Amino acid sequence: MCAATAFAQNADKNVSFIEYPDFPEAHSTWGSIGYNAASNTVHIGVTNHANNIGLYTFDPVQNAMKLNGFIRDLAHLRPYQWQGKIHSKIVAAADGSIFFSTDGGESREEYLMEHPQGYAGGFFMKWNPKTGLENLGIGMQYESIKDVDIDPKTGTIYGISYPQAHFLVYDPAKNHMRDLGRLASSHVPRVLFTDWWGNCYYVDWRQRLVKYEKDSDSLVFARESLPAFPGTPGSKIITGVTAYAKDEAKGIIYLITYGAKLIAFHPEKNGIGKVEDLGGVIETGKANAWGPYVPNLNIGKNGKLYYIIGGHGNYVLKDKTVLVECDPATGKKTILREYPITAVTEATGCDIRDKDGNLYFAARRNPSGVGDSTRPFMIQFNPENEIRK
Amino acid sequence: MRNLTKKIFFPALYLACSAPLLAQYTFFTPKDAFAIEVSLPNSAEKRLPMYRNAITSLAVQGDRILGGTTAKEGLSPYLFVASISARKAVALKDLQETIPGQKSIATGFCKGSGNQLYAGTMGQESKVAGHLLQVSIGDGDAIQVKDLGIPVAGEGIFTLLSNKQGTELYGISYPSGRFFTYNMATKKTQVFDEVAPKEKELDNLHEYAVGPEVYLCKALIQDNAGLVYGSAVGNRLFAFDPAKKAFQFLETPLPAVWGREVLGQVEAWAKAPDGKLYGGNAGDGQLFVLNPATKKIKNLGKPMMMGRLQSLAFGRDGKLYGLAGGAPGYSHLFSYDENAGFVDLGNPEFKMVEPGIEQGILWRGFQLSTLAASADGKYMVMGEDEALSQLMIFPVGQ
Repeated sequence: MCAATAFAQNADKNVSFIEYPDFPEAHSTWGSIGYNAASNTVHIGVTNHANNIGLYTFDPVQNAMKLNGFIRDLAHLRPYQWQGKIHSKIVAAADGSIFFSTDGGESREEYLMEHPQGYAGGFFMKWNPKTGLENLGIGMQYESIKDVDIDPKTGTIYGISYPQAHFLVYDPAKNHMRDLGRLASSHVPRVLFTDWWGNCYYVDWRQRLVKYEKDSDSLVFARESLPAFPGTPGSKIITGVTAYAKDEAKGIIYLITYGAKLIAFHPEKNGIGKVEDLGGVIETGKANAWGPYVPNLNIGKNGKLYYIIGGHGNYVLKDKTVLVECDPATGKKTILREYPITAVTEATGCDIRDKDGNLYFAARRNPSGVGDSTRPFMIQFNPENEIRK
Repeated sequence: MRNLTKKIFFPALYLACSAPLLAQYTFFTPKDAFAIEVSLPNSAEKRLPMYRNAITSLAVQGDRILGGTTAKEGLSPYLFVASISARKAVALKDLQETIPGQKSIATGFCKGSGNQLYAGTMGQESKVAGHLLQVSIGDGDAIQVKDLGIPVAGEGIFTLLSNKQGTELYGISYPSGRFFTYNMATKKTQVFDEVAPKEKELDNLHEYAVGPEVYLCKALIQDNAGLVYGSAVGNRLFAFDPAKKAFQFLETPLPAVWGREVLGQVEAWAKAPDGKLYGGNAGDGQLFVLNPATKKIKNLGKPMMMGRLQSLAFGRDGKLYGLAGGAPGYSHLFSYDENAGFVDLGNPEFKMVEPGIEQGILWRGFQLSTLAASADGKYMVMGEDEALSQLMIFPVGQ
């Protein structure tokens, strides 16, 4: 496939908006982004939000975004195995392979099932720049796989299904799939994350952390719910964690909840670790503290947190998304940039930082500001230095 | 409910999808319906532990719901009591304390004399022998369990029914599928081979890679004349006469989809006020009605596309409620009456309010396996079959 040189669309020396080439009908990205340390590349799954997904690689050194191919071709999918999008993050193994999962995306995914237009189920997939794509099979019949993570030490893949929210543990080496059962209520929290030992975390319907603990090969439930503002609606509670970023040197995983709480989680190898409430993601003083929507989080080399607030019709500044810096040491939150929602409608992506300290968000924009006619693009942001071109 | 939908459901859905909000995202949400959290690990509340709480038996006695569960292999099941008025779990009992080595209580509960209820268990895969249980809810909601022993040596209890006098039990053993009777006064068991699959039938079943869970009769019922009905391999229905200790096979087969007769299995029954017997065929999910006077079966059709029809009960509105479908899809709640036919109510989604989630959350029922009506038909109680299963309850109109 063609490669294209990325180009900045604004004069901001610290921010670059990067387009996806060779996919005219591209519509959006859904947290489907991840960093590959072995090659210092960023990988993105871009969808037309119907039945076609492009797999992209961005090389920050070459400043080039490349379409590796479309999932339906790379994975040899038949039409009845259509996939709507990659909703999972993209996680990398030490050998440079990346792993992700697929999602129905469309309305027909949830109810048509055995109908000819129904959804077969979401796949676990592995892609390596040298060997190409390997289809690792379906997680659950008729179910999407909303998110994955990997135990880098064992290669075990964790997944969460949609809409039944079953927690899946898959060993690709043995083709051994285990369904550990349903963990959520009427909504499927979208985010799984792992600690540095390879334990995996999710939340239950009370927004309590649920840990798949490797050593005991079991699910461990936190006694208490994650912090929430008084009055946080149940719909926010059951939606759980929307973003995370890891500071392994400090032993902290930062979390953002759908109820707009910023949390410092101190994982422990066995058992659930300490949870520290860092307050709200932003203090506007104007609206409900639990209101802001933040489906992304990155951490700079400076240890500060960066996130873009807004999306899905929920904005803290009228018709604007805002890029926020939070210093966990002081708790100070600063709005660094404001974007009209026609330029940045919303952004996803967790814990994506390259060797130069560039942070990445998978964003989309709706230039007309009406309907859902969006175009995806990637945001490259360096909080400390000008981006190298 | 409108405000609840606006405040809770729409925002959650908005997060789920950027596509237009479509009308298909409507759930069965009747007024005053609610869910009770009965399963939750690591809780200070009375809750069932993970993997031991699939609700496979239910009965309603006044304000109290009695549940029996199925556990994952190697774990033992529970009995539990929940209060409808208090909307909470009030008592739990680990069956391991009374009868070690059991895996499930999946026969449902049958009524004996007084407030006594009866159920059967299945053992673990390595030792399937199951016990008859006599269960009652005592003072302070204490769950009292009496072990009545193993009715069929080496066999689990797959199905159980009591007669209307509450003096005799009828059951199907697992895995051989033998019919047995148990006299509550004499405590004697009699075992019959007439309805158990024969060797040639088992050879045929082997070609379909189906096991006893698929082909053994999962539910029995007694008509007003005292005959006991169940299914047998080959898509057949049998009738047992307790007075004569005799079996007959009905001439009319179970309704079937052509070529799939091997899947015929009655897994639910309900008796209408007029004495007609409504049954659910697991194989392809047909609802049928058996007229005990003529012994004829009428196929009433399928409430949904998938197989399974796991539970049936009449409400006080005269409608028959049931649970159709199941994994790998979802269970659908449906209602049926002669005038309206089937109404597919889909997945229920009820509000759950518990300590720690006082603002309420919405609980959606995907894998509902049991349904029981209160004696007055006012409440329908549904139990989930999940790793963490909850109760879902809705009131039925007059």
